Amino acid sequence: MTKILVVEDEQYQRELYALELKDEGYDVDQAANGKDAVELVKTNKYDLVILDIRMPEMDGIEALGKILSRDKKIPIIIYTAYSNYKSNFMTWTADAYVTKSSNLDELKNKIKEVLENRSKSK
Amino acid sequence: MKKRTMFVQVAFYLPDIVFLYMLYLSYKKNIPLNDFVFLVGLIVCAVIKIFLHFSGFYYFFVRRVHNLSKNIQNLKQGKFVLPDIEFFGGGYLSDIHNEIVDLGKHLLKMTNSQKDEIDKYREVYNNIIYSSNSYFLVVNAQYEVLFVNKTFCSEFEFSQQALSGKKIKEVFLGQNEVLWNSIESVKKSGSEIILQKITLFANCRSRVFDIKISRVVVQGESQIVMVMENITDRIRKEYQISLINQITESIQRDEEIDRILFSILTAVTSGSGLGFNRAMLFTYNEELGEISGKMAVGPDSFEEAIQIWGAVQNENVDMVTRVSSYKVTSGIRGGRFYSDVVSSRFPVSSGNILVKCMTELHPKHVYDSWNDPEVDAEFRKFIDVREFVAVPLVAGNKALGVIVADNRFNNTPISRENIELLSIFAMQAAFSMESFTHLSSLKEQMEKIKSRQSAIVESEKMAAVGRIAAHIAHEIRNPLATMGLYAKRILQTIAKGQKNIDSIKHGADVIKLEVERLEKILSNVMDFTRLDTYIKEYHSINDVAEDTYNLLKNLFQERKITADIHLAEDLPLVKSDFNQLKQVMLNLIQNAMDASGENGLVQIETGLKDSKVYFAVKDTGKGISPENIPKLFEPFFTTKTNGVGLGLAVCKKIITDHGGEILARNKEYGGAEFIVEFPVT
Repeated sequence: MTKILVVEDEQYQRELYALELKDEGYDVDQAANGKDAVELVKTNKYDLVILDIRMPEMDGIEALGKILSRDKKIPIIIYTAYSNYKSNFMTWTADAYVTKSSNLDELKNKIKEVLENRSKSK
Repeated sequence: MKKRTMFVQVAFYLPDIVFLYMLYLSYKKNIPLNDFVFLVGLIVCAVIKIFLHFSGFYYFFVRRVHNLSKNIQNLKQGKFVLPDIEFFGGGYLSDIHNEIVDLGKHLLKMTNSQKDEIDKYREVYNNIIYSSNSYFLVVNAQYEVLFVNKTFCSEFEFSQQALSGKKIKEVFLGQNEVLWNSIESVKKSGSEIILQKITLFANCRSRVFDIKISRVVVQGESQIVMVMENITDRIRKEYQISLINQITESIQRDEEIDRILFSILTAVTSGSGLGFNRAMLFTYNEELGEISGKMAVGPDSFEEAIQIWGAVQNENVDMVTRVSSYKVTSGIRGGRFYSDVVSSRFPVSSGNILVKCMTELHPKHVYDSWNDPEVDAEFRKFIDVREFVAVPLVAGNKALGVIVADNRFNNTPISRENIELLSIFAMQAAFSMESFTHLSSLKEQMEKIKSRQSAIVESEKMAAVGRIAAHIAHEIRNPLATMGLYAKRILQTIAKGQKNIDSIKHGADVIKLEVERLEKILSNVMDFTRLDTYIKEYHSINDVAEDTYNLLKNLFQERKITADIHLAEDLPLVKSDFNQLKQVMLNLIQNAMDASGENGLVQIETGLKDSKVYFAVKDTGKGISPENIPKLFEPFFTTKTNGVGLGLAVCKKIITDHGGEILARNKEYGGAEFIVEFPVT
């Protein structure tokens, strides 16, 4: 089963994402901030990371760097309410950048897209 | 005389001898005494004797007295040398006579020695006065020259004969009211007057003096004595120093270059004959390869020269301020000399004396322009004077121009000192010209930097606003997303027919919480963007448009977007907050720039339509998709990936608060336009 790590500080959102993605058939882990995410990545192998930017303790950009330095092949989708980081050079290293909205379809589609691309390149 | 005296003496005693002889005869001949003839003879003798006695008395005594009184008269009249009459006989009259003669000799000796002494002193004084370094001038009561000393004559190059008997007003030309009045006053009152710094102009020369005027009375007639000290040199030096100071000050005060150059030229000519009669400034135009006249100071004619110098004199102001008032009040600038110089052109290729002066970087003193091979015919005709000097204006290693000076009217020879002084002023002029160009370009640079700085500050402000807005957007987006997600979830749950009340309740709770959160954020945002405090005054929206454009000018250039600006004239003023309007325009224009993109066009237009003042911003972008048009001014609406979505909402709020309207629409031929209208009150 595809293992996804959802990194998001907003509890209700995070829990909902986890729920919705589980309904999609993914195995979902949750992390509330960048630090926890990095820890989890150390001990687990994930097929995809959904990463928020604004988080306490360690933000998404820093976490991104740390995760990639561990495993530079891991697919990452940045999922954030910030719309203006899209052209930030840090986010170019992610596979996708999706702006949050009340509609999860965009995120779900992006997840499928990224996973497909990855499996193709493998 | 002696013979006569002897004869007279003999004749005097003759009757006595006859009488005695007759007595002897009578005695001898025993002639009876009562002989009538004998008696008669005796009486006759007696009568003759008496007659002789008295006539002798008259002759000698009266005559002697007459002589005495004549001699006394002589003495009175000053004829001390008396005719030497010998009185015969003695007597006290004779003594008196001798004494009078002696007195005469004595007086003669006295006066001779006095005269010698007077002559001696007179000669000494004459020598002193004559050759003194002071100037002496004596006039009589009719103001005719009685005496001038050598110094005076040689200074003004008069001969004594030329001056003698001339009226003083013919000697000193020009207006010398102060001097004439003082002479009058001294003549009347007798008390002396001292005048200072009086310029006198005689025989084509002018000098500055301190004058002491006093009165002497000689044989009942008044004579006015003027003793003058020539202070020309001292005055000149004082003047030159103060002028140099003044010019340096005006350079420091950063006055217009023309004014500085004009005061330099005026200093060179100095207006009262201390310097040159005329001065001209020529500048080198590298592009055109020619030297052209830029400025000139000097009279057009001799009469004008005297008139000006006299007029300046009469103003009774000190030399330094004379320069400034001189150039303001005199009509010299409009004169023929000035216009002749300013319209003159000499190509560099002509190699004329000015060009030579500039290339050699050395003053050129021409003594005789008619015969000097270095002076070409054209320039000779132009300058029309025998002696002149040309001094280059040197800055760095090249010449910026030339100053030419001459003494056309009083023909004073140009001394080395004059040339040295002229060189100092030329240096000043060159320096000021250089400084001025440097200063101007410096100023330009500074202005550019200043405007860039303010543009930077403004755009940074806007960037900050952008960042804050982005943050706010983020703050709002999160709760919105959550709310939406949970609402959907609830609907899904209901749709699936699942009766999971807990799940639905949880969803509703989350929504409620997020709504509260959102409300809090919104009130924070609105606090943040508090726009209630407007400062409303009457402004022209053209001013707002120009101000805004100036801020964005650099941005337009950088992004290679053309700005097309049409501002209508005479628009009514709008009661508005200038900065808020500026913010609206900034927003609209920046949006238009984003829409038009590189090589695009942004139009900014103001005008009056249907009694409404409007401004419009139009772009050449893709236009607005129809479904977005109603939403445009809603808060947080944005089509940009890095936009904020607050801009247009804020704009709308500002415009509405001003009682105006804002609307957006697509143009006919592509692109969009945003129009803001204000009703005219």
